[in-house]
Amino acid sequence: MVPPEPHTNEAKEVFWLYNVVLVMGGIVFVAVEGFIVYSIIRYRRRDDRLPTQVHGNNLVELIWTAIPTVIVMILFVLSTITLNSISARATTPGVTIEVEGRQFEWIFHYLDSDTDPANDVRVTSSFIEPGTMGLPVGEPVRLILVSRDVIHSFFVPAFLVKRDVIPTGDRPPNELEFTVSEAGTYAGQCAEFCGDLHARMTFSVQAMSRADFDAWIAAIRAGATPAPSAPAGSAVLKIAADNTAFDTRGLTAAADEPFTIEFNNQEALSHNVAIYKGSEPLFNGEFFKGPGTISYVVQALPAGEYIFICDVHPVPDMTGTLTVE
Amino acid sequence: MRAADEALPISHREAGLPTPLVGMLLFIASEVMFFGGLFAAYFNARAVSFGEWGPPAGAPELEILPIALPITLILVASSFTMQFGVWAIRRGDQRAMRNWTLLTLVLGVTFLLGQVYDYTTLGFGLSDGSFGTVFYTLTGFHGAHVFGGAVGLTILVARARQGQFSRQNHVAVEAISIYWHFVDVVWIALFSTLYFLR
Amino acid sequence: MATTALSPTTESYRRSWVLEWLTTVDHKKIGVLYIVNSFLFFFAAGILALVVRSELAVPGLQFLDERTFNQAFTMHGTIMIFLFVVPVLSGFANYIVPLQLGAPDMAFPRINALSFWFLPVGGLLIFSGYLFGGAAAEGWTGYAPLSNYSSGVGTDLWLIGLLLVGVASILGAVNLIATIFKMRAPGMTLFRMPILVWTVLVTATLILLATPVLAAGMIALFIDRNYGGSFFDPNAGGNPVLWQHLFWFFGHPEVYIVILPAMGVVSEILPVFTRRPLFGYRAFVFATIAIGFLSFSVWAHHMFTTGQVFLPFFTFMTVLIAVPTGVKMFNWMATLWRGSITFATPMLFALGFLSMFLIGGISGVMLAAPPIDFHLQDTYFVVAHLHYVFFGGSVFGVFAATYYWFPKMTGRRLNERLGKVHFWLHFIGFNLAFFPMHMLGIQGMPRRVSDYAPDAGWTLWNLASTAGAFMIAVSVLPFLVNVAATFINGEKVGDDPWEGNTLEWATSSPPPPHNFDKLPPIRSERPVFDLRHRHDAEHLAADVTVSEGGHS
Repeated sequence: MVPPEPHTNEAKEVFWLYNVVLVMGGIVFVAVEGFIVYSIIRYRRRDDRLPTQVHGNNLVELIWTAIPTVIVMILFVLSTITLNSISARATTPGVTIEVEGRQFEWIFHYLDSDTDPANDVRVTSSFIEPGTMGLPVGEPVRLILVSRDVIHSFFVPAFLVKRDVIPTGDRPPNELEFTVSEAGTYAGQCAEFCGDLHARMTFSVQAMSRADFDAWIAAIRAGATPAPSAPAGSAVLKIAADNTAFDTRGLTAAADEPFTIEFNNQEALSHNVAIYKGSEPLFNGEFFKGPGTISYVVQALPAGEYIFICDVHPVPDMTGTLTVE
Repeated sequence: MRAADEALPISHREAGLPTPLVGMLLFIASEVMFFGGLFAAYFNARAVSFGEWGPPAGAPELEILPIALPITLILVASSFTMQFGVWAIRRGDQRAMRNWTLLTLVLGVTFLLGQVYDYTTLGFGLSDGSFGTVFYTLTGFHGAHVFGGAVGLTILVARARQGQFSRQNHVAVEAISIYWHFVDVVWIALFSTLYFLR
Repeated sequence: MATTALSPTTESYRRSWVLEWLTTVDHKKIGVLYIVNSFLFFFAAGILALVVRSELAVPGLQFLDERTFNQAFTMHGTIMIFLFVVPVLSGFANYIVPLQLGAPDMAFPRINALSFWFLPVGGLLIFSGYLFGGAAAEGWTGYAPLSNYSSGVGTDLWLIGLLLVGVASILGAVNLIATIFKMRAPGMTLFRMPILVWTVLVTATLILLATPVLAAGMIALFIDRNYGGSFFDPNAGGNPVLWQHLFWFFGHPEVYIVILPAMGVVSEILPVFTRRPLFGYRAFVFATIAIGFLSFSVWAHHMFTTGQVFLPFFTFMTVLIAVPTGVKMFNWMATLWRGSITFATPMLFALGFLSMFLIGGISGVMLAAPPIDFHLQDTYFVVAHLHYVFFGGSVFGVFAATYYWFPKMTGRRLNERLGKVHFWLHFIGFNLAFFPMHMLGIQGMPRRVSDYAPDAGWTLWNLASTAGAFMIAVSVLPFLVNVAATFINGEKVGDDPWEGNTLEWATSSPPPPHNFDKLPPIRSERPVFDLRHRHDAEHLAADVTVSEGGHS
C-alpha cells in the first residue's frame, strides 16, 4: 500500500505526504466502516416497534460539516507546501536533457554547452533496443519534454513523479526537474496512452556518481558509430505502406554495399522498415508516421535471403523477403 | 374551448410558466453551454497564438462593412419584429402575428444569405489554421441555429394560417420567440468577439 | 392499506405488444426499455472487461494483439459509462420520478420516447466501428492529438454515436427538470419531494449544462479529423490540451451524474429498511446542490500532470467537494443509528454502496493532492478509484434499485435467496477484482497497457484481479436466473411489499397507465408512511383528508 522506495529528494517528500494522507484515510475508513458494521449488528430489527423517528439535528450537521472542512483544509495546506517544495527550480542544473517521446520510443538528447550538434550524445530506448538514460546522483536534473506526435508521459515510479510530454508545436514544452538521491537503475515507461505500442514504450534510468556519469557520456561519444552513408549512385529501394500493408512483398539489393530504402508511409500511422535474418535484427528503421517519405540507409549486408517487416505491425501484409545478391 | 377555460376556477389553471416554455428555457440553457464550449475553444486558441491572431496571411482583416454590420442589424431587427408578433397574439390578433412572424422569417433568411455571401469574400477557409477553424465553426453553428429557428418560424406561420393560435392558446409562439431572441443574443456576442474584441 | 382501486388496464383498441413497446410514450414502459437496453450493453461491456482481464492475468500477450486490446478497453469504458450506467439510472428516474411526484407521466412524453430510441442507435453506431476496420481505440477519454490521427472510421463512428447519446441525455434532462418543477401533486412542495427526486433534479441540471460542452468538443474533434480543422492538432496551430479542458469540463460533472442518482436510490432504501426517516433531509438536499455547483469547478484535477493548469485552485475545490459528500455519508450513518434494520437484498446492495463508495471517496481524496497525483495519475490506482466509485457506488446502487423496484414494475418480488447469492458473489468478486489495483498503481503499473514486464512484481495482483473479474461475471448468473424465474413463477406482491415511504407505493404493482386513481395527503417527504401511521399519536397531521380524483 505504499509507493516504491523513493530515490529522488522530491520523491522523499511526496512519500512522506502520501503516508500522512494514507493514515488519515485509514482512520476515516476504520471509523466510518466500524460505525456502519456496529450499527447494522446492534440495530437489527428485533420487534415490530417503530424506532424513534429523528428527522435531523442542525447542530450535528454543523459539526460534521465544519470538522471535515478543517481536515480537508489541512490536507490542502500540506499538499501545497509539498508541491512548492518539489517544484523548486535550480539555477544551474547538473545536466539538461531534452527527452523526446515518440511513438513508440524515447530519445534522450543530452544538451551540452557547445554549439555543435554533431557530437551531442543521444540515447534511444525502444522496445527492440532498450536504452538507458544516465544521470548524475545528487545534482539537479532538468528534463525538457518534447513530442512531435501525440501526448506521452514520462514516468519513473521510483521517482514518484510523472510529467506529460505534450506536442506543443511552437510553444514552450513542459519541463521536469529533480535530484536523484541514490545511485541505481530505475525502470520507466510512458504513462499516457499513445497508441498501439504504448505498453512497450519503456526505458530505464541509471543514476551514478558524477565521475561515472562523465565517463558514461564520454564512452557514448567515443563509441558512436557514424551512420552509414550510401555511396553515390547506389541503389534506392522504394517501398510504400498504406492500410497497414506494404505495397510489395519482395525487395532486392546488391550485396556488400550500403543501400537506401525510400519508405513512403501514406497513412498517419507509425510504421518502420526493419530487416531480420531469422529472428536476429540487422536493421531497425526509425518509427515514422506519415503521410510522408523517409530514407533509411542500411548497412552493407552479405548475400542471402532476409526478412523485411514492420516492427510496429508484424503482420503478414507488412512482411516480405529481401533478396541480397 | 376558450369559454370553458375562462369558466374554470383558478386552482385548475396552470400556475407559473407554461410547461412548454419551461422546456424551451431549459433547452436554451443547454445551448448556451454548447456555444460556451465553442467560445472556450476560440479564446483558448487565441490565448495560445502568441499575438498572431486573425485571418491567415494573404487574407484581409475582418471588416464589419459591407456585410457583417448590416446583417447584424437585420438580425437584431428581426428580434423586434418577432416580439411585435408575440405582442400581437397576446392581444388576440393572429393575422398581425402571422405577418410579423413572416417578416421575421424573411429577415432571418436574409441574414443567412448574407452570412453565406460573407463566407465567399473572406479569403480563408475552415482548414486554414486555428483562426479559420474556430471562425467557421462558431459562425457555422450559429447559422445552423438560425436555420433551425427559421424552420420554427415557418411552422408558426403555417399554423397561424390555419387559425391555430389565440390569446389564451399560443405557447408555441412564445417558445419560438424566446429561441429566436437567444439566437440573436448569441450573434451579438459572436459579432462583438470576432469583429471588435478580435 | 391500499389507497388505489386497482384499475383494469383500459385499452381502446388492441395493439400487438411489439408495436406497443416500439411506439409507447408511457414513462413506465420507456423506463423499462431504458433498463433492459442498458443491461444488454452492460453485458457486452462486461465481456470486453473479461477480455481485457484475461489478457492481463499474466505477463506476455497471450491471445490479443495490441490494437484489439486497445479497442477492448476503449469500448468497455465508453459503453459502460454512456450506454449502461447513465441510461440505466435514467431509466429508473423515468419510471419512478413521475410516480414519486404523484404525476401521471413525464412533461414531454413523446420527447421521452425519442430520447430512449437514440440510445440503441447511438450504441450500435459506436460498436459498428468493429465492422468498419476497427472500433475506436483511444480510451474512453479519446485524448487529442492521438484521436486526431487515428486512421479509419472507428473514431468517427464513436464520435457520432456519442453525439446522439448526448443529445438524448440532454432531452431527457429537459424532460425530468420540467416534470419535477411543473407536475408535482398538490401538497408536494419542493422540500417534501423524495430525496431521489432531488438527486435526479441536480443530476439532470448537470447533464443539461455539462453534456453540451462535450458535444462542442466532439464536434471540434470531428472537424479536425474530417475537415482539416485545427482545434487540437499542434502541427496546425491547435492545442491538444484544449481537448482535455473541454472533455473534463464535462467529464467531471459526468461522474456526479453517475453517482448522484445512485445516492438517491440508497437514500430511498435506507429509510425503508431501517424504519426511520432519512436523517437530515434538508442538509442532504443542500449537500447535493453544493456538489452540483462544485462539480463544475474541479475538472482540471484530471490534468494535474499536463503542467498547464493552475494547481492550487483545483486542489482547493477538489478537497472541498469532499465535504458535502462526507455530510451525506454521515447522514446515512445517522439513519442507521438506532434504526430497526432488516437485510433484504436491496438493503444489502445499499449497505455495500456505503462501504465501497467510502473506499472510492478516500482514494479520490488521495488523488486530490498534486504531489501524490504526480505519482498515481494514469496508473492502476486511478482504475481502482474509478471502479470503486462507478461500480462499487453506482452499479451497487443500480442493483439495489433493481431489487427494490422490480416488484413495483412487475408485480412480483425477486427471490431473496438468489438475491443474497448474487450479492455476496458480487461483493467478494468486486473487491477481489479491484482492490489489488490500488497496489498495482502505487507500485507504478500504468493504465491502458496491454502487457507488463514479468519482473515487475505485478503478476500476482493481476492474477487476483482477473479472478475477481470472473467472479463478478459468475455473480450475474443467479441474478439472471432470478429474473427469469420470477417472471415465470415469482412471489406476487401488492401495492407496498416493502412498507415504503413514497408515493410509488400508493398505487398498484404495476401501476395503471395513468399511475394513480387516488393520492394520499402529502404533508411530508413520506406520504405513504404518514398514511400508514396516521393513527399513531405522533403522526396526527392537521389535515388528514384523502384527495379525490388525483390530478397532477
